[in-house]
Amino acid sequence: MAAVNPGARFVIGGQTAMLLALYLFLYFPIFYIGYLSIMENNVWPFPPVFTGEWYDRLMIMSDFHVGLLNSVLIGVGTASLSTLFATAAAIGILRYPIRRRGVIVVLFLAPLFVAQILIGISTLMFNRNVLGIPGNIESAIVANTAYSVSFAFLVILAQLVRYDWRFDEVAQVFGARPFRTFREVTFPNIWPAVLGAFIISFILGFNNFEITFYNVAAIPTLPTIAWGTLRHGIEPELYALATIVNALVFLLLFIIYLLIRVGALRLGVPEE
Amino acid sequence: MRGRRALHLDPRVRFATLVGPGALFIVLFLLIPLLSIVVFSFWRTESYELISDWNVNNYEAVLGEWIYLKFLLKSLAMAAAVSAICLVYAWPCAYLIAKHGGRYKLVLVLLTAAPFLTGILLRITAMQQILGPIGLVNMALMELGAQPIQVLMYTNIASAVGLIYLWIPFMLLAIYLSLFNFNFELLEVAKVNGARPWRAFFEVTWPLNWMGTAIGIVLVFIPTFAASVTPRFLGGPNGSMFVNRLEHQFGSAGTWALGSAMGVVMCVASLVVIFVLWRTVRLRRAGFTGAGA
Repeated sequence: MAAVNPGARFVIGGQTAMLLALYLFLYFPIFYIGYLSIMENNVWPFPPVFTGEWYDRLMIMSDFHVGLLNSVLIGVGTASLSTLFATAAAIGILRYPIRRRGVIVVLFLAPLFVAQILIGISTLMFNRNVLGIPGNIESAIVANTAYSVSFAFLVILAQLVRYDWRFDEVAQVFGARPFRTFREVTFPNIWPAVLGAFIISFILGFNNFEITFYNVAAIPTLPTIAWGTLRHGIEPELYALATIVNALVFLLLFIIYLLIRVGALRLGVPEE
Repeated sequence: MRGRRALHLDPRVRFATLVGPGALFIVLFLLIPLLSIVVFSFWRTESYELISDWNVNNYEAVLGEWIYLKFLLKSLAMAAAVSAICLVYAWPCAYLIAKHGGRYKLVLVLLTAAPFLTGILLRITAMQQILGPIGLVNMALMELGAQPIQVLMYTNIASAVGLIYLWIPFMLLAIYLSLFNFNFELLEVAKVNGARPWRAFFEVTWPLNWMGTAIGIVLVFIPTFAASVTPRFLGGPNGSMFVNRLEHQFGSAGTWALGSAMGVVMCVASLVVIFVLWRTVRLRRAGFTGAGA
């Protein structure tokens, strides 16, 4: 390889500095709030004095447990629906190259280009004024799915483009019906992508504020509790809440990372 | 029997069976509600109830009265500025990962995308602890005996920093995905033919990745334009944006029809941005192939 000239080295050095600064910008607040959550003094916590008081206070907050349960329900509901629709659609689009399937791809990606708050208020207005449905967990799940399905679709599509459909054709040549082919051939091969999409859409539904807020009426969820706390001036319990949620999200993302590795191996693609 | 079997194997039927449920769901629960607020925007509200009395007064108010128009223009300016900053900052980062990331590409990209999933409210809470009056930056300055930085405490600048913090991952991801599929050997060709690095960038790399970049701009512009939590909790007394006015119509004001009109205006403004960028994608492509002829 030719020697890198000083100009190019200078450019790469500058880009590296920018990227490192970006990571610092993105992660420092997250770690700092984790640090604050175990500090007795939250205003200027130096030198550190440790305490578990904020976590104790969070645990006895009456809304916290209900909110956690509701957020998990919304997350699981959103993830189940999104993954189901996205998996079926991705398989359909990749396996049957129908003309004009581009229109369907655009439809499945359209939610990405609609502001969340518009999804929130339009579903609220439609449910309230046309269908006469009051805000509840179910309508929050439906509205969240209309948004998260795009992410699930992208995650699955990105990994399934590398899948070799000849496996399925072989199974069908040997007489397997479509559903059995899916259960015994397709799914065992693509499950990491499906689980990855489930986790991503779970996190999106679990953490969503703008869509959920307009659709759950007064039912507490973790993001709406956080919103209420922020409105009345910050309480240290919120740091504890944020730290728990952040830790959960990063744990799930680490699982996704492992799944992508497993998925890449399963689909027969050499690691980069 | 033969007929049934043929129907069963028709790829179009299978395609429809697989794609149909999801497509129908999106139409029913995304597109139809959006269309319903278009209808409501031509109605009026009387004591918290919608009345189907067709009129255009809501649009006259939103586009004609300075109190609404001012916020609309301010939100558009904020979204444009934040998108521009994200664009300029994310490009070199995405380029570095795509070109020199090697086997760590995936980890490096996932690391930038991960914070997005921790949720808007908790990220803004974290930002408040950095930028606010008792945030780390200003407390540290005061501990050191310096003056706190006023512009970071509940101002539109703080809002912009918060919005960049929230949405820059989308820009980086879009540009990265474009560069991931870009053939870097084209740059070698340009170099062999005597192009300086900057010229090669502006005549090869940039136009060929403009579509991915344009998608990144849209993905940042739309949520920034529609931001409500960030200006509310970081923007301070003068931080209010168009969407905060919109939320007011759905909250205590209860003027649903006016709020719907504001939503439609927002949607149309976003569509105009998408349309304009889409046109440039086509023009650039035509220009690029034309240059080679």
